[in-house]
Amino acid sequence: MKIIGLDSLVFGVPDLEACRQYLRDYGLETVAEDDNSGCYEALDGTSVVLFRADNPSLPAAPTAGCMLRKTIFGVADTDTLSAIAEELGKDREVKVLDDGSIEALDDTGFMLGFQLTVRRPLDLAGEISNAPGAAVQRPINSLAVNNSKARIQPRTLSHIVYFVPDVAKAEAFYVERLGFRCTDRFIGVGPFLQPPGCLDHHTHFLIGAPAFMTGVEHFTFHFGGPTEVIQNGHNFIEKGYQAFWGPGRHVFGSNWFWYFNSPFACHVEMDADMDMFDLEWSAREAPISADASQAFLLGYRQRWFPGPGAPVNGDYEG
Amino acid sequence: MTADFVRLAASSDIAEGQSRGFDPRPARLDRSANNRSGGDSDVMFVVRHQGQLYGWLNSCPHIPGSPMAWRKDAYLNASGSHVCCHAHGALFEPDTGLCVQGPCQGGHLTAVPGLYEEAGEIRLRIRAAVAG
Ligand SMILES: [Fe+2]
Repeated sequence: MKIIGLDSLVFGVPDLEACRQYLRDYGLETVAEDDNSGCYEALDGTSVVLFRADNPSLPAAPTAGCMLRKTIFGVADTDTLSAIAEELGKDREVKVLDDGSIEALDDTGFMLGFQLTVRRPLDLAGEISNAPGAAVQRPINSLAVNNSKARIQPRTLSHIVYFVPDVAKAEAFYVERLGFRCTDRFIGVGPFLQPPGCLDHHTHFLIGAPAFMTGVEHFTFHFGGPTEVIQNGHNFIEKGYQAFWGPGRHVFGSNWFWYFNSPFACHVEMDADMDMFDLEWSAREAPISADASQAFLLGYRQRWFPGPGAPVNGDYEG
Repeated sequence: MTADFVRLAASSDIAEGQSRGFDPRPARLDRSANNRSGGDSDVMFVVRHQGQLYGWLNSCPHIPGSPMAWRKDAYLNASGSHVCCHAHGALFEPDTGLCVQGPCQGGHLTAVPGLYEEAGEIRLRIRAAVAG
């Protein structure tokens, strides 16, 4: 099965205007909007789709507090769509929608969609460091820092993290039915999962939680590198948004992270530079802790410089 | 003369069904009031519900210390009926602080004592030691 990754997340939200503004300020491009919905894309065409919460066409959420209504995967070919329909059709309803995509519930109650991927190939350099001795350096006379860039845009929808009441059952569905594999695991919490047509460390992470919490912990898009994550996050905060955790760099997956609160009843992350693994990789296991979770953790500060007018406390107070 | 209170805001700054965050420590109050950035996390927030003011610590009982607004001063759900932690959407009664939905359901927000209104101002009573 060539499941490439997440194509789209569909939310039903009580405050559509707030959610629209949030996604625009996060850096997504508005590609469609009307009074009752909107679609917001990353550079490769992956997206977040919004509807008002009372829209009758939306699938149900797994719990009252969850605003996510559907998680849509992109697959490489119609053979994969047929194989998924056949596999899931063994024990549950699989609907074929007008656009040719299929949908079915997972074993936790999240509605899943599968479609021929909308992802457009990107031809963009990543963040390149001028590291002494490295064969690949930035082009001569090119600049690493662009302070004037109006907007930093996320590149692609990266991953989603679910709270699930039964981790073993939820994991078994993705592994045994859809061919995902566990790349790493936090003991007592849950697995990082990679789809069969994808090299990213994870598109899914599962967290065991009481049934009433079933829902989303966070979702995130990949940015071009740590500078984009930190600069975009800094700008986001200065627009008034509330950081939750970060910026920092995770251990499992190595991705840079910065998490923010949101009107989506979950955190929203900005991430960059995740490890990629193929079948040679063997999953690690570790108990979760602050040390296991991140290599380092930083925090937002207002811009400052040491000179006339600097506060006596150097802005380190607090 | 040192006042035994800090002025958080004008009464008219927080209308019915609205919320606002503050850092009442004297050195930080101006910054909290004037800086609309969410990066400086507020220590507490005030919500007006059925005419009454309620002050709560900006700390979700789910993960103590975690800030609750999704952007500066946005501590309520979309309809304004409940205080909402915008980490995972937990809902709290604005007057009792009881969590009625979400990870910490059954838990409570921590009330900030000493909040009152006088002379058109929202004030927080402070201990003499702090004031002096
Ligand atoms: Fe993440």
